Amino acid sequence: MSNVLRPYLAAVRSTLTAALTLENFSSQVVERHNKPEVETGTSKEVLLNPLTISRNENERVLIEPSVNSIRLSIKIKQADEIERILCHKFTRFMMQRAESFIVLRRKPVQGYDISFLITNTHTETMLKHKIVDFIIQFMEEVDKEISEMKLSLNARARIVAESYLTAFNT
Amino acid sequence: MDTAFRKIDIDIYDEDTLQESELYDADPRDPAQVLDDAKQRQAAVRSSLAKGDIGEALSITLDNAPYGPGVDAAKEITLQTLLTILNSTKSTEITGIIKTLSQDSQDTLMKYLYKGMGMPGWGDISGSVLLGWHEKLTEVAGTGSIVRAMTDRRTV
Amino acid sequence: MALPEVHNIAQVPITSHAFSGDRSQLAVSLNSNDVQIYSRSGTDFVPTETLSEHDKLITSIDWAPNSNRIVTASQDRNAYVWQETPDPETGKLVWKPTLVLLRINRSATYVRWSPNEDKFAVASGARAISICSFDAENNWWVAKHLKKPIRSTVLSVDWHPNNVLLAAGSADMKARVFSAFIKEVDQRPAPTVWGSKLPFNTVCGEYTSPAGGWVHTVGFSPSGDVLAFASHDSSVSIVYPGGPAIYNIRMTSLPLVTLTWTSEDSIVAAGHDCRPLVFTGSEAGWQETGTLDDSKSGETSRAGAAGASSVGRLKAGAFATFRDADTRGQSSISGSSPSADTKLLTVHQNTITNARPYEIHGDQVTRVSTTGVDGILAIWDVNAVTALTARVGGIQLR
Repeated sequence: MSNVLRPYLAAVRSTLTAALTLENFSSQVVERHNKPEVETGTSKEVLLNPLTISRNENERVLIEPSVNSIRLSIKIKQADEIERILCHKFTRFMMQRAESFIVLRRKPVQGYDISFLITNTHTETMLKHKIVDFIIQFMEEVDKEISEMKLSLNARARIVAESYLTAFNT
Repeated sequence: MDTAFRKIDIDIYDEDTLQESELYDADPRDPAQVLDDAKQRQAAVRSSLAKGDIGEALSITLDNAPYGPGVDAAKEITLQTLLTILNSTKSTEITGIIKTLSQDSQDTLMKYLYKGMGMPGWGDISGSVLLGWHEKLTEVAGTGSIVRAMTDRRTV
Repeated sequence: MALPEVHNIAQVPITSHAFSGDRSQLAVSLNSNDVQIYSRSGTDFVPTETLSEHDKLITSIDWAPNSNRIVTASQDRNAYVWQETPDPETGKLVWKPTLVLLRINRSATYVRWSPNEDKFAVASGARAISICSFDAENNWWVAKHLKKPIRSTVLSVDWHPNNVLLAAGSADMKARVFSAFIKEVDQRPAPTVWGSKLPFNTVCGEYTSPAGGWVHTVGFSPSGDVLAFASHDSSVSIVYPGGPAIYNIRMTSLPLVTLTWTSEDSIVAAGHDCRPLVFTGSEAGWQETGTLDDSKSGETSRAGAAGASSVGRLKAGAFATFRDADTRGQSSISGSSPSADTKLLTVHQNTITNARPYEIHGDQVTRVSTTGVDGILAIWDVNAVTALTARVGGIQLR
């Protein structure tokens, strides 16, 4: 598994590094405003081509760069119904607390499970390479966490079923 | 009440607004001719591949690759051809082959790798092949090449 | 190898910096609405004065070396010219602002004095450049607009040594050369390689990089016969208008955002890669020759960490981070990260946003000063060029 995971994360890392070349850019549409261009999308020339990095059909990352912000969306692997539910609950839990994670977006982009919005303010106040590290680390851990949760859920279900069925085993 | 009018983007009628089409120089070639070119190249690539010369096959495909709107069929063929080449390369040879390519071709290859990964249905290629190429290409051409894949409006 | 002179000015980004003519004073904007003036005392810079008049982020500062005036541009759509005048009560010299009628309705992004210091150019997000000259009658600066054919925010400008031509780089991916001839101010200029008849707003040239990208910075060579610009596709282009040759150097590293000519055949440029690069060449061709940043600190330890383990070394709880954030309210992301390599190898720890000539001998710039998002001011000896070996850039693919 790690054999395929490594180039995947390496590709995300290099693409994200390339995309995190942001600058302070005030809106040229609305006077005295300064907003993430990738979200407003009102000036085409300051948006760049979005890039997708995918490991397979169910796991991919979309990076949408612009002059002062980038949006990174992750589709997390969901092999079965349990994983789908766990993933949904998990991302929902985090996105409700988005302000604590600073770069997390409150809503995922359509077709993806979780989105991050990184603006030039973030790259100014935090170290750029550490933001990249954080995203990569998140991607590494999220799969692991979901499979762990699935295991403990299954184990719990088995114990419940066993203790229930022992009642009929006399 | 009809509210569809609220979704109309009135800003595009402002003459100051920059249109997508003004951001790059359009391909001077005729779409039909581009398609023909792509088909011819596909044949040339097959013969190079038969000889086992992957470097040549790659540079044939990447040279003058179709870009811009209206040439989707030609782009499709080029992508197919490219994926065949990528698939039939041994992973140990990749770095050497990339180094023989011109900077132009390296940048175009980067664009196609992202296009390949962005395709919804995968066709007959596995993700690890593209990711492997991406990793090797980044080692050679650097993040600069990825930046160019983002900025270049001549999308493949 | 001469080491650069490094000053930690602040912990916040330096959006712009400018030295006074004698290099004894420094004006910076620390990502805020104020200009901070520093005076050099020994090896340090000590803050002496704060100029506050703007009410949004100051984007650019320029200090006229001979007339000792400062011009500032800000996202509040205004520019001010500051002049040192004696205070009527105390007789002490203080900086007083003069209003500039820019007549723009979007942010001002960049400002530069003309070589004769009788006018200045303000680039703006209003798809225009204001060329400002002084109106003695009303005691303010009035502007004329360069508008056509700019289609997007202008990101940078640079004056030709003849005080008339102006180069501009903008977000519509073009670098252009304009005539900014104002008949009240200028003498009729001698013909140059860019053209001979030059009424206001003549477009003398329009250039673009093959892979597109916003033009972050432009610069005329000391003679004014060559134009260099760096765009967001990680490339530098050098334009010879006489023989229609454009040299485009594509780099393997991240885009450059600022450049300055150090002599007729060399350029120092810097940007997102956090280190200044040197380009040399002539009409026959240009290439990247090396970098000024040769800091070796921690290089050996980094060599091991680079490459194969770049992903593996992150194996430690992102979820511990989240749990901390949730239960203990520790929301700092970089602080709780397990790996200790927070410091980059380069002198600058973040994007370099400004590079300017610092010391000039004859027609050669011998030292350049750079400031960046990391709040560091560094002064580099331009002759201390290190070849770019296999060592990849500080920021990429560690």
